[in-house]
Amino acid sequence: MSRKDRSGRHDPATAERVTSIIEAAERAAAALIDSADANAKRYLEEAEAEADRVVAARLEGMIETTDALVEQAEAIRRESERLLETVRRTGARIQPDGDGTAPAEETPLSRGKHLAAVPSGPEPAAEDSLRPAPEAPRRSENAAGARLLATQMAVSGSSRKEIEGRLRSGFEIEDTGAILDAILGPED
Amino acid sequence: MSAVPEQALGLAQVRELEQRYLMRTYKRGAVDFVRGEGALLWDADGKEYLDFLTGISVCSLGHCHPAVVEAVREQAGRLIHTSNLFFTEPMVRLAQRLSDSSLGGRVFFANSGTEANECAIKIARKHAHRRGISAPEIVSFESDFHGRTYGSLSATPALARNEALGPMLPGFRSVPRNDAAALREAVGASTAAVLIEPIQGESGVNPIAEEALLAARQACDESGALLIFDEIQTGVGRTGSLWAYEQTPVRPDVLTSAKALGGGMPIGACVTAPAAAEVLEPGDHGSTFAGGPVASAAALAVLEVVDDPTLLRRVRELGELLRTGLLALDGVAEVRGRGLMIGVGLDDGIDAAALGADLLQRGLVVNVPAPSTLRLLPPLTIDAGDVDRALELLGDALVTRSP
Repeated sequence: MSRKDRSGRHDPATAERVTSIIEAAERAAAALIDSADANAKRYLEEAEAEADRVVAARLEGMIETTDALVEQAEAIRRESERLLETVRRTGARIQPDGDGTAPAEETPLSRGKHLAAVPSGPEPAAEDSLRPAPEAPRRSENAAGARLLATQMAVSGSSRKEIEGRLRSGFEIEDTGAILDAILGPED
Repeated sequence: MSAVPEQALGLAQVRELEQRYLMRTYKRGAVDFVRGEGALLWDADGKEYLDFLTGISVCSLGHCHPAVVEAVREQAGRLIHTSNLFFTEPMVRLAQRLSDSSLGGRVFFANSGTEANECAIKIARKHAHRRGISAPEIVSFESDFHGRTYGSLSATPALARNEALGPMLPGFRSVPRNDAAALREAVGASTAAVLIEPIQGESGVNPIAEEALLAARQACDESGALLIFDEIQTGVGRTGSLWAYEQTPVRPDVLTSAKALGGGMPIGACVTAPAAAEVLEPGDHGSTFAGGPVASAAALAVLEVVDDPTLLRRVRELGELLRTGLLALDGVAEVRGRGLMIGVGLDDGIDAAALGADLLQRGLVVNVPAPSTLRLLPPLTIDAGDVDRALELLGDALVTRSP
């Protein structure tokens, strides 16, 4: 507490001390303001850097995804070229009903035996009756599967007749013409 | 002077040495083969055999195919091994050929089928970890066979039950073969991959139903898991297409190959689609020998011969001829498989092991994967005459054994 003389004024020593206290307080306040400014600036810079990092990571992810898509497209292109090459190479060789090196004519008997020989359904098991019936694949899944089967078989060199047989036996598609025409071109 | 020891011991002495020095992991047929050419093998006494096993679908071009012999001889005379620390041309050319002919991504070479599957398992687990799955699971079908190293073994339900070899690796589960509903149920948020043999070989040639394959593909698409096809036995033309998946309604994300790939030289490969190509990074996997120049040169020669539409069509046609002939034999209950990968289910009461031994005596080499099943894996280069001869030998043997 400052001391006053009888006139009520502060003595000089007290006034000097008050002045120095006020100056010290002002310096402290200024330092606080400077510190707050620096902190705010640092936080801002860190936030900006983090945002840059996130953007860069996302950009990188997008680039990777794009690259993967480009690679997939390239793979599809290569496979299409292989299909075309296969069709070119085999076109002249494949006769409509084989060239006589195989069981060329499929009699109803051998066809039936063939179907029995390559089971395509789940094998029966003793506990089957206790299990819920397997969920059938969706129609769209079936259709996509049939198209993929036909495409892959064509790429691997299968004949129209072979592909048609698998579409009928595996997918129960009676009118296979649309799929086959789309992949192999219309029949002559 | 030849560095190859003369083969003059005879069967009795060979058996004696085998029993003295080799671990007792195999029950071998009573014959020591000394030479092979095409579909034929000869033992030390000069007896001829028709080989309808091809070293378990390894010598798919027949024994000592000239293209494979020449590739091996030429490459072995130039450069045999440098390790994977350096570039070698046969390896990269083979990788390009495998990728271009299948899934279009990257290739990791191994020395065997089980090692190729180990790579696929690593890809699946790392792919899952990237998706935030801490304890990834791999789902396979019961009676699948994926190999005998611990990862592949753990994915092989029948062998993984051998507690004497335990503990198996965690993170593997199986569902009944062809049970699409059970597969859908098993695949969930923690699934890393579904690992499938499109036609199960070791269990007796059992094709996986198209419905189950479609369910696997759909479940993987919905969960983000990878679909892996183990084409170690089915691949490289065995089923009448270069890869068996080409005759299915699905396309896998990862494919493994071995056996026939090297034409008799040990090699395996794990091939990815582009989406899984960047999963493995430096340090994640490796092998000293894999992709070596000699094995790679042999594999390139094999693919050059097999990846031919005419040969593949012939495989399908001869498979059909063999299938039809087998079904006409007394004692044959059913015939399974595709192309020249054929399982023959025998009538009740016929002991397949005894029949297999009898056939070996008669000069036909086959395999007995199950008590009532024969497995036929003839060379892809056989002709109709070879099929007729095999059917005749099999028919004669069955006549004496039918109940």
